[in-house]
Amino acid sequence: MSPAGCSHVNGYKVDNWKQNLRVIYQCFVWSGTAETRRRKVLQSDAGWTDLAKSCICHMCGAHLNRLHSCLYCVFFGCFTKKHIHEHAKNKRHNLAIDLLYGGIYCFVCQDYIYDKDLEQIAKEEQRKAWKLQGIGEKYTTWEPTKRELELLRHNPKRRKITTNCTIGLRGLINLGNTCFMNCIVQALTHTPLLRDFFLSDRHKCEMQSNSCLVCEMSQLFQEFYSGHRSPHIPFRLLHLVWTHARHLAGYEQQDAHEFLIAALDVLHRHCKGDTIRDDNGKKTNNPNHCNCIIDQIFTGGLQSDVTCQVCHGVSTTIDPFWDISLDLPGSSTPFWPLSPGGDSGTVNGESHLSGSTTLTDCLRRFTRPEHLGSSAKIKCGGCHSYQESTKQLTMKKLPIVACFHLKRFEHSAKLRRKITTYVSFPLELDMTPFMASSKESRMNGQYQQSVDILNNDNKYSLFAVVNHQGTLESGHYTSFIRQHKDQWFKCDDAIITKASIKDVLDSEGYLLFYHKQFLEYE
Amino acid sequence: MNKESRLKASINQKLTETGERDRLKELLRAKLTECGWKDQMKAQCKEVIKEKGLEHVTVEDLVVEITPKGRALVPDSVKRDLLLRIRAFLTQHAS
Repeated sequence: MSPAGCSHVNGYKVDNWKQNLRVIYQCFVWSGTAETRRRKVLQSDAGWTDLAKSCICHMCGAHLNRLHSCLYCVFFGCFTKKHIHEHAKNKRHNLAIDLLYGGIYCFVCQDYIYDKDLEQIAKEEQRKAWKLQGIGEKYTTWEPTKRELELLRHNPKRRKITTNCTIGLRGLINLGNTCFMNCIVQALTHTPLLRDFFLSDRHKCEMQSNSCLVCEMSQLFQEFYSGHRSPHIPFRLLHLVWTHARHLAGYEQQDAHEFLIAALDVLHRHCKGDTIRDDNGKKTNNPNHCNCIIDQIFTGGLQSDVTCQVCHGVSTTIDPFWDISLDLPGSSTPFWPLSPGGDSGTVNGESHLSGSTTLTDCLRRFTRPEHLGSSAKIKCGGCHSYQESTKQLTMKKLPIVACFHLKRFEHSAKLRRKITTYVSFPLELDMTPFMASSKESRMNGQYQQSVDILNNDNKYSLFAVVNHQGTLESGHYTSFIRQHKDQWFKCDDAIITKASIKDVLDSEGYLLFYHKQFLEYE
Repeated sequence: MNKESRLKASINQKLTETGERDRLKELLRAKLTECGWKDQMKAQCKEVIKEKGLEHVTVEDLVVEITPKGRALVPDSVKRDLLLRIRAFLTQHAS
């Protein structure tokens, strides 16, 4: 594909060819105005001969068979039925233009050709037509001009992204027990979709004051990807968090999980300017169906099925969630006893060494049917009375980023302690067994095991881990984040060090961030 | 031209004159991109190019291979939406 086209085009580039070509584009390919559209259909003006009656094949009258116009005379012919080919052979007119896409076909080369001058005219006419139609500028891939290439070469801030470069990594200064905030910031700035959103400048702020947290996040991404290697001081972020989440203010150590939820909540509220508009340009009014970037990335649906033990009627509710909090063995709430040869124990390839709990175990416990007991009867719509029932949680809709919170901090009336039980978690996680749809098919007696393996929808990859060291009273948060697919780094406030996958998977784990492997179109 | 082709031609004329044809084209373009059809087609094209070799493949090769697949892969919802839109237009402009 050379922009120099083919030699046969040179025969065309004589006399007033540019103007003639423009007229063809304007009238027949990309008609911008009503006038040119009419010309397409009716008799055109004196500039063209009487043969230009309408935009249909001069041989068969069809308008849909990849109609082409001869460039040397006024003739329209089907490409599919080879009418234009016949004309080209008979008249020795070698060039024709595709009226649907504007491409130039050379009958000698027997292919579409791309001549720089012709392409230039085509592009200009298309832009003009879009403008006239009210479409304005459309997205086209960027083709740098000579001048732009020059400027790029001379730019001292030019950065080449290789697999080894550490762009996007930056330490964060601890402003006084703010490691809980720092590790969440590291996780968020390394969430690929969030990073793409902010680096493409997609936030349109509608807040009047300077206290928009989304704007501050945007700034944060700029700082992280600036290439500066010195640690960043997030004092503005801290101040905004104190302003919008009063319960987190103060210099004492806070809970990283609480900070995550509070941050997502404030970001979600401040994203109002970015809500999508429907076909008529109106903002979608439904407050429950927000489509901000936070909801698009983090919001999942948790299905709760309450089954009456008497009539077996099921009452279902679906609630949105940003994270899944999982109970651990060793807490005061009884955990599922581990069955040694348990079914699908290695469904996620976790190391099941000598009875250590896995993340899958926790998820299985989370989604098991739970008998609610005689002291917690639910009013059954079918029986019209209070009956004993079982409740089961399953995933109705999985978010793009799934955050698992291992409930290590126990704050019951009797004790406040940290549960340090090791829970092994996998690098790749398949959520299929915990889906509402899987439960339904299991109940219907269908065992979809083989189909599930082919279904890529529920596969996740670990990309960030937040860890807590120490006790409930005094502790320190650090995080591991994933860079370039398989490189991991440990972020300890201002200090970033390279880490191995083993370091990550051997760590205790408090908050686990997983990203969907395959993104589907809706 | 028989009656059906005359009808087709006059509908096309009306659509083009009013600019609705261009609007429908844009709408279709957007819908096919959104649902991933465009990317599917791109992937198919890459396959054909790999098969035939970058130096020898022509646009015609691609058209011949891709057109039937493209037609089959258009989601029913997109077809439905466009049809409704055209019907609405014709009802409005019935003469």
